[in-house]
Amino acid sequence: MKKVVAIFVFAIILNYSNNSFSQSSICANFHKEHCVNEPAKGDKREFLYNSQSRSGLFSQGSISKLRCVIYKGMDYRLSLCCETAGTQVNFKIIDAKTKEELFDNAKNENAQQFEFQSNSTRNLLIEVSVPSGDATEAKGKPMDGACVGLLIEHKISERSGFSKY
Amino acid sequence: MKLKSLTYILSASLSFSLFSCGGGSHESDELSTNDSTKVDSLALNTEADANSIIYQVPSPSEMLTFVKMVGGKNNKNASFLNPSDNAKNYNDAKSKAINFGIYGCDLSYCSTFEMGVEALKYFKVVKQLGDEIGVSTTIDANVAKRLEKNVGNSDSLASITDDLYYNSFEDLQKGKQGSTLALMVAGGYIESLYIVTNLNKFDAKNPATQRIADQKYTLDNIIEFMKNFESDASVAEVLKDLNSLKTDYDALKETSVATDAPAKGIKVLDGGTNVEITDVQYKAISEKVKSIRNSYTTVK
Repeated sequence: MKKVVAIFVFAIILNYSNNSFSQSSICANFHKEHCVNEPAKGDKREFLYNSQSRSGLFSQGSISKLRCVIYKGMDYRLSLCCETAGTQVNFKIIDAKTKEELFDNAKNENAQQFEFQSNSTRNLLIEVSVPSGDATEAKGKPMDGACVGLLIEHKISERSGFSKY
Repeated sequence: MKLKSLTYILSASLSFSLFSCGGGSHESDELSTNDSTKVDSLALNTEADANSIIYQVPSPSEMLTFVKMVGGKNNKNASFLNPSDNAKNYNDAKSKAINFGIYGCDLSYCSTFEMGVEALKYFKVVKQLGDEIGVSTTIDANVAKRLEKNVGNSDSLASITDDLYYNSFEDLQKGKQGSTLALMVAGGYIESLYIVTNLNKFDAKNPATQRIADQKYTLDNIIEFMKNFESDASVAEVLKDLNSLKTDYDALKETSVATDAPAKGIKVLDGGTNVEITDVQYKAISEKVKSIRNSYTTVK
């Protein structure tokens, strides 16, 4: 009987992890409530909320991909946050058309925030993952599920020189 | 790490299907085995996990805000919006859902461009249609009071109407009304193109013109998102319209972008292509958008 229950639970977990960001409602506004950082002292830039932001329920080993439109001439700020402090969340930015990897936070000191511009308007894939067996598992608390938020903000890039627009 | 209860996970697993905020999860033709190979090596997920993609769509207000910020703040003209009187004539589920998106965009335009009185008028029809399609909990009396209180404050109005859009989105998701959501997104998208092509005449140097060209990418995402619900006849009909518009967008020339000098203090993602649009193509897209949009708003 225990085996049957275990298989059932495993099947369900596989089902819900099919795409963690698609489990939107449980963690719906997590990114709005928990990923917003206070600006550093003297930072007067005003980033606006981007509606392509998203939250999802992740288990260890979950990978989820968002395809977003990024415009040339805009500054973007991506902020990742996890319900459980200290959990490592990885993200990669990939050109959706060429599949070229443009950024990987694992190669950049596991940065949980990333600001960038793009040379061109394009679709990007943002691949978010919670690695299997991270440090918390060693402490005897494996993650069954926790909300992960991806907050996207934007603003028009500063221009140099005069412009009619 | 925080341990969620089994009940919580069971409900999460059973309650939510594969569609999402701003877009749906759909296997894209252009994203095939290369991706899955890469991802499979990273985690203990199935191949389906690796290929499943959520298609996100910027809200209509983002384009309207951009157009205002690049110099169009005096573009106040409610004459080409969908008359609020039409709302009472939308009697079928398809026209209600599409026009909920259209009126939502009209409301956003009025709020962003500081037309408070018109915004209140459009709020009423958004509420009326919202009640009819099942997002009434989002649009309660408090929202109306907040709008009335902030009629003279465009930032607050825009913020309130943005919240309305996002919350309607969430409501439709929670209610598993994927088809309604798809139609609402399509309606809002078409109306935003319609408004901007009315406000902005072709000028190759105007960022608003380029923004219209760049809508090629958003259109691609909306189409991929809507494919999740194409078994619904109404969604299939609208998909046909959007694919017709995509034909015009696919004709736009794409040129490789040269690497720019690094910007000060911010990482620049190199590569990609620039979508170029001519006067003739701009007019053709504007006409196609007008034709599609009017077919949705015209009372038959």
